[in-house]
Amino acid sequence: MRVDLTDSLSSLLPKEAFGFSVPSSLPAALRTDVETIIAPGSVEEVAMLLQWASERGVGVVPIGTGGHTYPRCPSDPFIVLTTSRLNEIQHYEPADLTMAAGAGVLIRDLATEMAIHGQWLPFDPPDVRNRTLGGLVATGLSGPLWAGYGQLRNHVLGATIVCGNGQTVRLGGKVVKNVAGFDILKPMVGSRGELAIITSATVRIFPLPVLDRLLVLEAADISELVPTARAIATAPIMPASVSLRATSNRSRLLVRLHGAQVSVDSDQKSLEKHTSVSFEVRDSPEDQSLMLEERGGGMNTEPAVRVWALPSRIDALLDVLKQVPGASLNADVYGGSVRVYLPEQISDIESSLTGLQKDIEELGGTMRALQIPAEVNASAYFTKPLADEGELASGLKRAFDPQSILWGIG
Amino acid sequence: MTRPLPSTVVSDLAEIVGHEHVITDPERLLVYESDGLTAYRRPPRAVVLPSSTEEISAVVELLHSNGIEVIPRGAGTGLSGGALTTPEGVIVGTARMNRILKIDVENRLAIAQPGVINARLTEATNPYGLYYAPDPSSQSTCTLGGNVAENSGGPHCLKYGVTARYVTGLTVVLAGGRIVQLGGVGRDPYSTLDLVGLFVGSEGCFGIATEIEIRLLPITEGVRTLLGIFESVESAGRAVTKIMASGLMPAAVEIVDGPTIEAVEASVFAAGYPLEAGAALVIEFDGTEAGLDLDADRAEKCCLEEGAIEVQRATDPEHRVKLWRARKKAFGAMGRIAPDLLVQDATVPRTKLPEVLAGIDDIGNRYGLKIANVFHAGDGNLHPNILFDRQNQNELELVELASKEIMQLCVDAGGTITGEHGVGVDKREYMTLVHGPAELEAMAAAKRVFDPASLFNPGKVLPDVEGEGTTKSEKILAMGE
Amino acid sequence: MKGTPAYEALGQALDAQRERLLPCVHCGFCLPACPTYNRLGNEADSPRGRLHLIQAVVEGRLEPSSEAFRTHIDRCLGCRACEPVCPSGVEYGTLLELARETATQAVPPGLPTRFLLKVLGTPVLRIPFFFIGRLLRGTGFAALGATVLPSYGPFRAVRLGLAMLASTRRWQLMDSKESMAGIADSGSLDISQKSRVAVLLGCVQEGLFRRINSATARVLEANGYEVVTVGGQDCCGALHAHGGDLESARTLARSNIRVFEASGADLIAVNAAGCGATMKDYGILLEEDPDFAQRAKEVASSVRDVTEILDSSGLRTGASVPCKIAYDHPCHLLHAQGVERAPITVLKAVPDAEVHVVAGAEECCGGAGIYGITHPKLGGLIGGDKVSAVRACSADAVATPNPGCMMQIGAGLRLEASNEGVIHPVELLDESYRRAGFYRAGGVE
Ligand SMILES: Cc1cc2nc3c(=O)[nH]c(=O)nc-3n(C[C@H](O)[C@H](O)[C@H](O)COP(=O)(O)OP(=O)(O)OC[C@H]3O[C@@H](n4cnc5c(N)ncnc54)[C@H](O)[C@@H]3O)c2cc1C
Ligand code: SF4
Ligand code: SF4
Repeated sequence: MRVDLTDSLSSLLPKEAFGFSVPSSLPAALRTDVETIIAPGSVEEVAMLLQWASERGVGVVPIGTGGHTYPRCPSDPFIVLTTSRLNEIQHYEPADLTMAAGAGVLIRDLATEMAIHGQWLPFDPPDVRNRTLGGLVATGLSGPLWAGYGQLRNHVLGATIVCGNGQTVRLGGKVVKNVAGFDILKPMVGSRGELAIITSATVRIFPLPVLDRLLVLEAADISELVPTARAIATAPIMPASVSLRATSNRSRLLVRLHGAQVSVDSDQKSLEKHTSVSFEVRDSPEDQSLMLEERGGGMNTEPAVRVWALPSRIDALLDVLKQVPGASLNADVYGGSVRVYLPEQISDIESSLTGLQKDIEELGGTMRALQIPAEVNASAYFTKPLADEGELASGLKRAFDPQSILWGIG
Repeated sequence: MTRPLPSTVVSDLAEIVGHEHVITDPERLLVYESDGLTAYRRPPRAVVLPSSTEEISAVVELLHSNGIEVIPRGAGTGLSGGALTTPEGVIVGTARMNRILKIDVENRLAIAQPGVINARLTEATNPYGLYYAPDPSSQSTCTLGGNVAENSGGPHCLKYGVTARYVTGLTVVLAGGRIVQLGGVGRDPYSTLDLVGLFVGSEGCFGIATEIEIRLLPITEGVRTLLGIFESVESAGRAVTKIMASGLMPAAVEIVDGPTIEAVEASVFAAGYPLEAGAALVIEFDGTEAGLDLDADRAEKCCLEEGAIEVQRATDPEHRVKLWRARKKAFGAMGRIAPDLLVQDATVPRTKLPEVLAGIDDIGNRYGLKIANVFHAGDGNLHPNILFDRQNQNELELVELASKEIMQLCVDAGGTITGEHGVGVDKREYMTLVHGPAELEAMAAAKRVFDPASLFNPGKVLPDVEGEGTTKSEKILAMGE
Repeated sequence: MKGTPAYEALGQALDAQRERLLPCVHCGFCLPACPTYNRLGNEADSPRGRLHLIQAVVEGRLEPSSEAFRTHIDRCLGCRACEPVCPSGVEYGTLLELARETATQAVPPGLPTRFLLKVLGTPVLRIPFFFIGRLLRGTGFAALGATVLPSYGPFRAVRLGLAMLASTRRWQLMDSKESMAGIADSGSLDISQKSRVAVLLGCVQEGLFRRINSATARVLEANGYEVVTVGGQDCCGALHAHGGDLESARTLARSNIRVFEASGADLIAVNAAGCGATMKDYGILLEEDPDFAQRAKEVASSVRDVTEILDSSGLRTGASVPCKIAYDHPCHLLHAQGVERAPITVLKAVPDAEVHVVAGAEECCGGAGIYGITHPKLGGLIGGDKVSAVRACSADAVATPNPGCMMQIGAGLRLEASNEGVIHPVELLDESYRRAGFYRAGGVE
């Protein structure tokens, strides 16, 4: 960051906003200068900051903990805005099953607070505990548990955002049902920092299940598990989630059943009957977390992409993925999405990705790069949105960030 | 008197959809002057009934190129005047677009035209063990297109969520007749912004949904329905909070208050409720058969702890229908005891229900109006029904004032002005109770992205901005005007 | 428009019905039940739309003589499918009759309609009329005409009419030459509790379906009821009421009330759903008549569909009649009278009769009097769907307890050269009883 920028900013924001260290996960291009990280402590400060930036045409890269890949880097000058000081739980009324908190609050901290009241946030994208609420909302990812609980986008009840032009907008509210006006909250969920900075959000939360049972089925090869996975996905009962995990030497089908002991037992029985398979049962949280967090327990550093197709095409999808030797997979069976972790030392990553993308798109699916070595142009590996969708999305971008100063993760 | 359409436009419309599907005769247009909210009346300049996406596209292109506003209409059951025309508007109805195009059992999806009636989708998918979850009380007649436009909810949305949760993709006709594809389950929903989510709830102001991709659910194994009778609506409200806070996950929790019970019992729909009951609470659990009795026991205990006079439980379908009767018949029953009825719709945080209900009661008393509440208690979605007689001009004014006070009360309690019926034309003036200028401008900006010239359903949702010349709708309450 | 003498005079009749209109809350629940709306998609052809037009007339915003009012009121089938689904209990059927009266007073209906109503309401004209009908049927001329006439132009209506006529003949399975008679014994039934029942003979029923009237009397007697003969009956007035000729309907109602009162019967059994619906509404029809209002209510309260009576006290089982029957609900039984189960129970009481309810049985067959002739296109569409649904059952016969529906469905089947018989449910029960030897030989049919 150039000195004059720092100067004018330091008169704008209190000292606490400065001196944050850059997370190591941030791509090299964004790690140029320690002082590029600014941590505003309130909506007003975010608004001032964005106003300041838009007046000067300074780019803003919003981050939570900074764990995401930035497919493109802003042109100079730019600042990195972290939400880490927006870390207050603002409102928590357990009996209403709603919680409002600053964007920078870590999900694991929210979880601790909610657990006291026997409640939780049933979303499980990889490494969710280390994400911030703002990051979760901005990426919009729910994880395989969406099957039992619905997607995150349906449970974000409200948010305060600051648009690219510094305008603060309060969307939605605290109530579960709300149709007072156009639902611009929806496109904010999953907008990845492109439209506005989410400074706080209100989410619907859920009672913790009395019993959280994990059913496990192991096999040497993932293709042996696919038929069972599909059978479960079309069974008359709906588990909380069904996912397939595969590494080079082991494959697992993981099914979560939530509810009272009797209903979980009964669900298990009907699943076993329906699939003619008997599962290993894991009821203890420790056992479960080993398996559930196997991929994504820490910061994965391997290159990763997400591919997506109709759930019924998951076998074809997995066939395609076999072509990438050494890849590990994490598939959400209901959703038809697969996270693919490429071997860390993959040779010629670009041609692997190109080949993969072509095959996936031929299946009618989409691919999206999640984590790509800095030297690779990640945006080349995004399936293009449908032309008209792209145009409408650009229209929204122009409406909310007219000077295009926000550089989200795209 | 509405201005007739230029004859060239009429003949071009007839060319597209066939002349029997273009209605221009003023006498017939009377039928389209209102939707489910009859306080507003205005006949359109014409009604067009296309039968395909392509026809809608051609109709919209023709009308928009002539600068004519397009008002989408489904079954016209909306309760906020969403399908009311502007003075210059033409209604494009989806009544003939009533085919289910595809049922994809493997992926639990259906693709339907917008004129398909909500309940028909469930009927059609039941043989495959599937159903469509959102169940507005009007589900036997309202259309999926209307549901998409209003983001409709229903009793079972407590557990299952509202329309937006089930709409995964859309084909829409936008300004100028452009046909656009949004979303779809086979694509990464985050390959772009959530445009499907934004379109849902846009009240016909962004464009016309012409094909809807919908997620279906497997039919649940069992169901238990409880009916709790309480002395007062406050204690029923407390029971609701207790049930929800206990970690139970009911499929539906509905309250019918004392005045409503009185209305139902006084009508031809009498359900045999004790007249001294201050409120009845309908609670439903569904899911795996094995766990249901346990859930029902716990809910029953919650009710009794909050002073329920009695709790009945249904296990067979007939008994279930009986327990639901007062809830389902309430609307019609009120139509029988008072000449006019204003159904309000607002949401408050669930824990605020008892105090808000007491506040509404107080407002009713102060204005000398009878207000009966039937509502989706589980998610704090209130429906105060104000009973009146439109021929009494004085009472009309009181209804307006009381409505506004109720809205303010709900907003002050941390709630909002509509939970499921939408803003339409009726609640535009209340929008400023919950939204500031920045919020309203952000919504207007979103509308401009889809409909820059404001030719889709103008004058709805957003309040008039001084000097912008948007059409102000007049409420026509007197009969025979 | 408001204040013109035409409006004043005609709108008043409806104005008096404000109370019946008021409960309509414009909710639209009735839309999907309406066969005309389902096919046309125009809300003016929906119940709510029609009520809105009626209300516009009441409010003086619409002329009763207007083309819109007349067309859409006329296009209503009168099937009353919109009534049971209405959460406010709007009495659509009654309003429709008043609207029809208002519309026909403004502009009288066509000559054929007026001719038909005149004939049916006048015994001396009715007798030769149906005699000719039976002649055409008996000589096979009707069946022939329905086969050879072309289906266009003026022939279309004649062809349909002849097909309807041809379809009124007895189903072959029951075309037994054995003569039948009154009751030999009522078995071991305890008849002390059973009522005295009078049978409405009706106009079309007596003219073309006399066998059903006889069967009705026999099965009632076989179940221990005392059937009393009531002379001097007239047409019930249903067709007149539906056609907007309420005055004639009232005259007919009065004369029927007189004779049924005099008969001393506890119940009046009706085997034509349309007649039953009208008679059950005599109270409303004559509510403005001080001399008859109360009497009409009393007579109306004793009216039952014959199947309701049979279903009310455990039916006797006769002999086996192996056959497959498709049952279709007449609108005026299901929607107007709320009778759903009784006719099916009657059919199922016959051993070895396999009964299937036609898919979409709750929807009108398009018969609605002479709808098929007055509204060829729409009537054809509605009737066509019904015929397909009936054929899909692959049954030996279709049963439906209303002459209009029997003729409409029968004609449709005949024109598609499909062989199903057409019966009233009591005919099957009657056959079963005959085979069981419940009847003594030697009587009159
Ligand atoms: C008795 C009764 C009970 C009700 N109960 C509920 C309830 O429990 N929950 C609930 O949420 N609502 C309820 N409603 C309100 C109403 O039924 C819903 O809002 C319903 O979704 C409207 O559907 P419709 O087909 O009648 O749409 P309409 O009323 O015709 O139109 C509603 C809006 O949608 C727009 N629109 C219609 N079709 C399209 C399309 N294809 N594309 C774009 N825009 C379109 C119209 O322009 C209008 O703004 C109830 C109404 C009644 C009368
Ligand atoms: S269902 Fe009844 S109240 Fe509703 S519109 Fe139809 S007639 Fe009116
Ligand atoms: S009587 Fe039948 S045709 Fe007439 S409006 Fe009612 S449902 Fe429609």
